[in-house]
Amino acid sequence: MNVSVCAREAVTHNDVRRVHVLREDRLAHYPEFRAFFVRMFALDDLAMDSPGYLRGPSGNAYELIFLGRSGERFPSGLEIYALVEALEPMDETAVDSDLWQILRWMFAGVGGEWSVDTLDETGRLYRIPAAILVDNDETRNSKPSTTGATS
Amino acid sequence: MPAPSSSAEGIELPDWLRAQWPYRPRYARVNGYRMHYIDEGQGDPVVLLHGNPTWGYLYREFVAPLTAAGYRVIVPDMIGFGLSEKPSIEQAHTLDGHIANLTALLRSLDLKRITLVCHDWGGPTGLGFALSNLGRMHSLVLMSTWAWPMPSSEFHTRMFPWRTMHAPLVGPYLLGRHAALVKRGLYLSVVDRERFRREAQAAYEFVLPDPADRLLTWAWPRWIPIDNAARALHRFSWLEEQLKSCTLPTLLIWGREDDTFNPEIFPQRFKALLPHAEGPCFVTGRHFLQEDSGPEIAARIAEFVNGHHLRAVT
Repeated sequence: MNVSVCAREAVTHNDVRRVHVLREDRLAHYPEFRAFFVRMFALDDLAMDSPGYLRGPSGNAYELIFLGRSGERFPSGLEIYALVEALEPMDETAVDSDLWQILRWMFAGVGGEWSVDTLDETGRLYRIPAAILVDNDETRNSKPSTTGATS
Repeated sequence: MPAPSSSAEGIELPDWLRAQWPYRPRYARVNGYRMHYIDEGQGDPVVLLHGNPTWGYLYREFVAPLTAAGYRVIVPDMIGFGLSEKPSIEQAHTLDGHIANLTALLRSLDLKRITLVCHDWGGPTGLGFALSNLGRMHSLVLMSTWAWPMPSSEFHTRMFPWRTMHAPLVGPYLLGRHAALVKRGLYLSVVDRERFRREAQAAYEFVLPDPADRLLTWAWPRWIPIDNAARALHRFSWLEEQLKSCTLPTLLIWGREDDTFNPEIFPQRFKALLPHAEGPCFVTGRHFLQEDSGPEIAARIAEFVNGHHLRAVT
């Protein structure tokens, strides 16, 4: 299962807890990454009206909170929250693996000089467990998708 | 490895680390932050500056020989690293801010006749202080660093691994969540990796135990200019211009195996800016050359400073 963009209704319900798992303060450190999120979540139109939602390969859902900062183009930053059962511990291994797949999805979507293969190679260099798992999975020909149902 | 415990003044070191770093912790307020440093020995000051992702511990093999040689040794931990305060927001870190933090410490100690030993980000930071406080300076030692706006080698422009690991979200994931620079990055950047793993690795990991503590490990590399949009371009240009007229005695020391700041390129660029500089003296070492050649480098620094003190007297 690949990373897919979801509608809010498909991933949230009343008894859910949001767990902060990753924050980026400089989404435009390389501007093409900011542009990717603007494109994927129609942020030029929707701006701060609604978070974005993703479903990871584990089946977990993630909420993307886009951050604004005076003097910088929106969004300047991004927080990712795992949406988990309200009273249950988070499966950290599954979330970490999903985050890696979200990074791969992002690289595939940004494109150009940013390649998923280079990201995987970087992950392996630094012995990131999820990157090593991907390496094993590649033998089964899984590739990230840049598309999905948009809300 | 047990998690560090905190006191009102900072992290308390466990016995195994205290045995390697036995120095009395001291703290100063700099620009609103708590900065840790050590201050050992008597004599003219030698200030040892670390970079990313290290702390004063990098110089553990320097303190005893330099104090024995008759110098006062001061080793600060940059704000965001080591036993100093670690601000929780990325915007807390700027090159000018780090220069001003160092300036606040060294002025509060009223140091004069300073020999400044600069490594990695300790270069732009230390030189920022030195070149705006020339009246307090005696000499410079530069190791595996740079001080100009555009890259001198391809390392920092490569997609693999440099630009990829510092891409949005990737930096906080790799270097924050997974401590990539503190663990694997340091390990890959020494020559004797097994000795490093056995004797030193845990000390670097100990002071940056959680993702939030490691913010500067991914935030700081993004300040390295690789194009004209870089944030600190004007400061690096200023550093380069000021170095051209700098006459401070200078010693260049580089690791022969340095694959971050190429030993065939970077020392020569410093020599072009500072034609009077001594060296480069090449030692066994990659980027973290202190880990492979600490006692040899400490001896060279003592010899260099002694020599210039004698020349000043005679």
